[in-house]
Amino acid sequence: MVRAFLLATLLLVPVGYAQAAEKGLVIRAGDLMAQPFIDAAKTGPVTPNQPVTILERRGGWANVETGGRNGWIRLLNVRLEPRPATAATGQRASGPSVSAITNPASLLRTGSSGRTVTTGVKGMDEEDIRNASPDPVQLLRLGTLGVDAATARAHAQKSNLKENALGYLDKGRGR
Amino acid sequence: MRRLRFLSATLAGCAALAIATPAAAQFDLGGLLRGAQNAKKLGDSLRKIPEAEEITLGGDLASIILGAAPLIEDPAKQLYVNRLGRWLAMHSERPDLPWRFGIVDSPDVNAFSMPGGYVLVTRGMFERMRNESELAGVLAHEIAHVARKDHLGALQQSLRNSALGGFTEYVSGGGGLAGTFRTALINAGKDMFARGLNKDDEFDADRMGVVIAARSGYSPYGLVGVLQTLSAAPDDKGFALHNRTHPLPVERIERLDRAMGTRLDGVPGLVEDLPSFVALRAPPPVRVLPPPPPPPRRRRDRR
Repeated sequence: MVRAFLLATLLLVPVGYAQAAEKGLVIRAGDLMAQPFIDAAKTGPVTPNQPVTILERRGGWANVETGGRNGWIRLLNVRLEPRPATAATGQRASGPSVSAITNPASLLRTGSSGRTVTTGVKGMDEEDIRNASPDPVQLLRLGTLGVDAATARAHAQKSNLKENALGYLDKGRGR
Repeated sequence: MRRLRFLSATLAGCAALAIATPAAAQFDLGGLLRGAQNAKKLGDSLRKIPEAEEITLGGDLASIILGAAPLIEDPAKQLYVNRLGRWLAMHSERPDLPWRFGIVDSPDVNAFSMPGGYVLVTRGMFERMRNESELAGVLAHEIAHVARKDHLGALQQSLRNSALGGFTEYVSGGGGLAGTFRTALINAGKDMFARGLNKDDEFDADRMGVVIAARSGYSPYGLVGVLQTLSAAPDDKGFALHNRTHPLPVERIERLDRAMGTRLDGVPGLVEDLPSFVALRAPPPVRVLPPPPPPPRRRRDRR
């Protein structure tokens, strides 16, 4: 019974993870909106570096809680609060790392000391790249992974992805 | 002037020699480096190399990253990034390259691309994706670098010193032209991966990446979510190389804000996630769970 409960809990992890609340900071002055629309009612101002808790992301909007108020701000107006440098690299940005469960060794890699505990998990810093020997066998394997356009299109259609004809963006104006 | 003309003649002669050697058949260095005493010209010539050579060159560069971190042994995930990546690339200016995508086994957070359509994402990056539109954003950013041939411009800097300085050795050296050039290329590639591309190229690839994602049916805000993740980890060692080789995530968000505004908000039918990606992210339960214990009643029966 306990095991069955554990099974249920573990299976829920990846689903719950996407909804995990994240701590963020407002980038520039703006307004909290009642709804995720540009012409929605404004429910109060936000100021630079104001802490927010991100409850949900929806397209270009984030539903946040800040100073006891709840509302929507542009996703592009939020950066995440820096995590403590001690956070293990095996950890996800939010919520428990599923890989850390399947691969506890990844938790041993620390970020605080700038050193890597020997775990057999390979990091990839500048030094690793400088010391790397080109691996032709891996390159051959990579060559076998590619799919053709027809396969990609069939999969996209199965997934109901909608194509859009859009031009590239220019740099835009400063605020 | 006379000196210049002499040099050109010499270079042309070397080029002819290069073409005559079998090694040169693999790499048209003669054409590549003709008149290459000018580094700017080499950069231009690199951007103009034929597609087959670009793919060879990209493969050599990809083998460096693969030497530092091999592909993960997970056919389902590798197939997934290839289907998604190819679909995105079909909405770039270079849909017909032999695009190849791979997840490499490193807990660090990074993504790399190479000329000719090679894109490699670390396991650490893949695991931090909140949804499929974020992965689409990362791949589309890299696809933009390939479509723009940003790497070929970046390689110019390193090749100027090693390749141009030793130009005559390349064409007349006993070790074989292709082999010598390859050594110089590998070193230039390591420089590029360690130093990163032009900062402006990164901003441009961000702006192109969000559009390529939206053209392919994904929310363009996926890349914004990834930049937010990166903005939260300034001192994390796992992000060190990425952060050193890219502009600050917050600056990238601000630039994207200026370019995007709400311009892509009205695009219909965009998705943030797909059930197949959610399933892919979940660890296979068999690996996580211990085998179920035998029911107690049966144990009693055995006794």
